Amino acid sequence: MTNHTHPDTTDDSDEQPSRAMTDGGSSRGELNLEHSLTSAGFFESLSEDRLVGGRCQDCDAVLLPPRPICNECGGSDVVAEDLPKEGTIVSHTNIHKTAPVFDDLAPLAVAIVELDSTGRFPGRVEAPYDEIAIGDRVRVEQREPTEADREFALPHEEDWPLHVFVPLDE
Amino acid sequence: MPTPYIVTVGSTPVGKFDATGRELFSQAIEDAFEGLPAPREIVDALYVGNQSESYEHQIIYGSQLAEWAGLRHVPAERVEACAASGGLALKDAVQDVQSGAHDAVLASGLEKMSSGGTGTATDALMAASERMFEQRSGITAHGLYAMLAQRYLHDTEATEKDFARIAVKNHRNARDNPLAQFDRDLDIETVLESQYVANPLKFYDCAPVSDGAAAVLVTNEEVAMELVDRDDTVAIEGYAAVSDYLALAEHNLTELEGASKAIHSAYDQAGLEAADIDVAEVHDAFTVNEALLAEAAGFTPTGEGRQIGYDPDERSDECTNVQVSTSGGLKARGHPVGATGLYQAIEAYEQLTGRATTARQVNDATAALAVNEGGTGDAMTTAHVFTA
Repeated sequence: MTNHTHPDTTDDSDEQPSRAMTDGGSSRGELNLEHSLTSAGFFESLSEDRLVGGRCQDCDAVLLPPRPICNECGGSDVVAEDLPKEGTIVSHTNIHKTAPVFDDLAPLAVAIVELDSTGRFPGRVEAPYDEIAIGDRVRVEQREPTEADREFALPHEEDWPLHVFVPLDE
Repeated sequence: MPTPYIVTVGSTPVGKFDATGRELFSQAIEDAFEGLPAPREIVDALYVGNQSESYEHQIIYGSQLAEWAGLRHVPAERVEACAASGGLALKDAVQDVQSGAHDAVLASGLEKMSSGGTGTATDALMAASERMFEQRSGITAHGLYAMLAQRYLHDTEATEKDFARIAVKNHRNARDNPLAQFDRDLDIETVLESQYVANPLKFYDCAPVSDGAAAVLVTNEEVAMELVDRDDTVAIEGYAAVSDYLALAEHNLTELEGASKAIHSAYDQAGLEAADIDVAEVHDAFTVNEALLAEAAGFTPTGEGRQIGYDPDERSDECTNVQVSTSGGLKARGHPVGATGLYQAIEAYEQLTGRATTARQVNDATAALAVNEGGTGDAMTTAHVFTA
């Protein structure tokens, strides 16, 4: 496991122990920016091609993005878990009128995908709209943010990669 | 507990205006208080539904609009749940009167959306969706509703033509509403041939960008009877505000569960059921949502919300005879976001007091429902049941 260091933290691993993304630890306890149940932790994992969600230990729900409290049952015994990156499109659209910053991306094909582990989230699809349908299989991959993505990003989001759905030939 | 009454209502027409938001608001106040003592003599507290500071670079609308209503030293709050802001302002006023906290509360709403053009509105509305996955992926409000619509078409017998029929009905109704933004008939072909904004939703499936301000005075019975005749009041017999997940992917995509809870809570408080409702204003920001809300309200069976676009006598026997969106709805009356929940209450008030223009007046209407939604689908729902 690599010890991920950040510009604003010391690189002394004795003082700054690694926040392993699959620490499996409960959300009870310290939450800091490198914790796998935070947005920053999620994107750090994604940049290593790993999809990390929360798994509720009480009701087994998958939580995406990961979070300390389960929105299904209300419990707070949530641990980080590596999720499978394959899933199925449950709905999709083609956005012709985007927000101005994304004009160059229009039309933008997007979908909501349910992972094989359960757990649903939306994102861009790397295929033309007329080539995708409900029920299609996709794989989650990560991309560097485009110029438009960086323009849209808030300062703390600028280096976050973007997740995308890539259709699978099955 | 005291029953809250609507005593008077006022608004600007819905449209695109040069006047600023506070000027539109003061026009709504003058309309509401015509023939009554000034607001300062009556009003104990003010709520303002307002979606976004992006349009006028203004927050603290509570103090700003209290000032412009001639009120001073009163509680005055902006409330926000995107497009449910107006319904939430009404809920707060009703709750204050019912609890006895205040005798007379002004619920108002204001949006000046046209100031920045469609791009500003698209961006401002996008802020009402989940940031990390939805917004960063570039998914707009109409993109999210389109994914609800796509799944609805997949799982039910509904077609794009059924959505178009809802838009046509609401445009027809708006022609008889002097407050409406649009005064022109649509036909189904025009809707179906309009451009896709996000498949399967087309230009004419979507509510417009609008300006408008609206105000509703809610009081207890004692104040109501001092001010107006009983026939000029409408009782608010049930109300609810219910949240559901902001992230669309967390929702059941073909059933508005939070909306159903809110509506049925309001029915239960009023001792009414779906079949008792004569007129309803539901949140048709996109045509698919009128179909989904018709189901949530129990006007049609599950999966049959498409029938709400038909006249009551053309619907199947399991549907109620309710008239929906008699004002023209968000689609054609217009959708000045933070004010929309109040325009819905105004339509309920006009229908139940027999003040609606002849062509759109529902005969012998005695019970009305207003359902206001914020976020995608039912991230926030307010429901109010009104009786004559």
